[in-house]
Amino acid sequence: MSRTIQIDPITRLEGHGKITIFLDDQGAVEDCYFQIPELRGFERFVEGRPIEELPRIVTRICGVCPASHHMASAKAVDACFGGQVAPLAHKLRDMYYHAHYIHSHIAHFYALAAPDFVCGPGCDPAQRNILGVVAKVGLEIGGQVIASRSKAQRIQAILGGRTTHLVWCLPGGVSKGLTTDELAEIRPLVGELYDFTQFSLQLFRDVILGNPEYVELILNGPYTLDVHNMGLVDQNNAVNFYDGQVRVVDFEGREICRYSPAEYATHIAEHVEPWTYLKFPYLRQRGWQGFREGLDTSLYTATPLSRLNVADRMATPQAQAAREEMFSTLGGRPCRALLAAHWARLVEMVQNAEMLKRYCDDPEITGPEYRLIPDRITGEGVGIVEAMRGTLTHHYTCDQNGICTGANLIVGTTNNNAAIHMVTKKVASTMIRPGVEPDNGVLNLIEMAFRSFDPCFSCATHSLPGRMPLIVTLMQGGEVVRTFRRDPS
Amino acid sequence: MERAGTVILGLGNPILTDDAVGVRLAGEARCRFGARPDVEIHEECPVGGLELLAFLDGYRRAIVIDAIHTEGGRTGDCYRFTATALRGTVNLNNVHDANFATALALGRRLGQRLPEDDEIHVFAVEVADDLTFGTELSAELAPCYPLCREQVLAGIEELLAEAPAEAP
Repeated sequence: MSRTIQIDPITRLEGHGKITIFLDDQGAVEDCYFQIPELRGFERFVEGRPIEELPRIVTRICGVCPASHHMASAKAVDACFGGQVAPLAHKLRDMYYHAHYIHSHIAHFYALAAPDFVCGPGCDPAQRNILGVVAKVGLEIGGQVIASRSKAQRIQAILGGRTTHLVWCLPGGVSKGLTTDELAEIRPLVGELYDFTQFSLQLFRDVILGNPEYVELILNGPYTLDVHNMGLVDQNNAVNFYDGQVRVVDFEGREICRYSPAEYATHIAEHVEPWTYLKFPYLRQRGWQGFREGLDTSLYTATPLSRLNVADRMATPQAQAAREEMFSTLGGRPCRALLAAHWARLVEMVQNAEMLKRYCDDPEITGPEYRLIPDRITGEGVGIVEAMRGTLTHHYTCDQNGICTGANLIVGTTNNNAAIHMVTKKVASTMIRPGVEPDNGVLNLIEMAFRSFDPCFSCATHSLPGRMPLIVTLMQGGEVVRTFRRDPS
Repeated sequence: MERAGTVILGLGNPILTDDAVGVRLAGEARCRFGARPDVEIHEECPVGGLELLAFLDGYRRAIVIDAIHTEGGRTGDCYRFTATALRGTVNLNNVHDANFATALALGRRLGQRLPEDDEIHVFAVEVADDLTFGTELSAELAPCYPLCREQVLAGIEELLAEAPAEAP
């Protein structure tokens, strides 16, 4: 008799995300659905408001990626006002964004990714958290994690005035520049953050690469997908987080398309399924072909690993060295092993720290020309940045008075929706065996599939990302026969 | 770092309908108790998880106000509990890095001066809609709000009538 397994977060009793796994009569996985809610009415909420207010409003869409939304929104608004931006403002925004990246990537690696490997995938869920990591590798590292995040936060606060609800970016620039005294405070913090990125890479080598079982799991486990890769690159095809063109490369390394922000709608479309609120973006020119892998698929991922896959190089030397080591170890580029996204995050952090160093040494960075006052309204703008969790697109329209008439957002995690859905099914099909009741270890191995994407549905809700709370319900013949519960740790 | 004895934190998103209830009530608390030198109030605390530690470090008592969903709960019901019997409120259940209990445990192991569990007081209001963008409370919660306000403010006043326990 067929059964249903439901993995169901409990922080919300309505509008929450869940994974539902359907088993056939023999107990094998028949199908799997990954469903999440969405926040309602953002477009309506911003319609009728002055377009320059949007960068300040969008920081409250998401408490996890506020700077990403602020930057993408600011760039879209820049375009609505003609696109003239003070060159120094681009540097300062980019500088801020590198600090934000480090702050976010540290949290994901040490609090969400590392417990799976340091504590082990089968570890008791109550122990598989940052406390478990600290217990294994030492209290001092816990202190360094907190301190390094604080340093990255401090850099953001110095540059932008605050960290979470930014009001810093304005059409044509930013509201404040960087003084020499402020730069003097930032400089030593950057050096310490760079050291921490190197420490983190070494920890990855020691703990994960030093364990053949983990390397086998990364390279040859079910955590792979034959779909394409998306990410921002600069004019040299180097990884860029704040600016550039979006490049899409297939899983064999061939460029499929490359586009500027204003062209996004020519290349990206969104498919709707009746069983989830979240849309499924795909490559428009290939058309929606369903949830399938292959060279002709229209699906892609937009993750840290995707960014490294689409770029020909990193923008800084030590990050490039770390990238070469990664691809060399993983068998070349592009890499299809989704769990390698954790390693890619650490490589990105090296570039973030090196770029911060570069800006500290830039003689123009404390200059006074950090804003150009716009002199016209064009009525439409698209801004794209790389959020930590994927390519983030904001598209706005406004009338001749600068009043917002429309908004469309494709957030980082949305790009990965199809891939998360597919790999969750793939891993569940591998890990759940007929006649064997899935335990917490199996459930965590399924969670690891989507955790590699660092999914953040704060743009949609607060609930689902990371070590989500779970209820697993086994249904047989319409009756609940067993329930697992796991609270967030 | 030694700071004022009590910190009051409003959790939530001010433009997400009922999710704003903690922020609104913290604003009400500022009107009522903001002049007291032993109380510091963050009306809109924008963080969760590990970052929340920075908002608690150095205080002997914390009062957190948030939205909550409970099974079978009635919109407008107010709950009060401490970190010794912590329940999952909407914003304390940060799952991006660590939940509140894990963050507290880590902070204490790292030597941060955090309030004891029985000096972390949570006031939670059962909400109806925290998924829709809007600056007004839902039609279900709005009529309940005045009573929520009085219950929460009375509870805070009762707590503030006594000095927080000395740190061990």
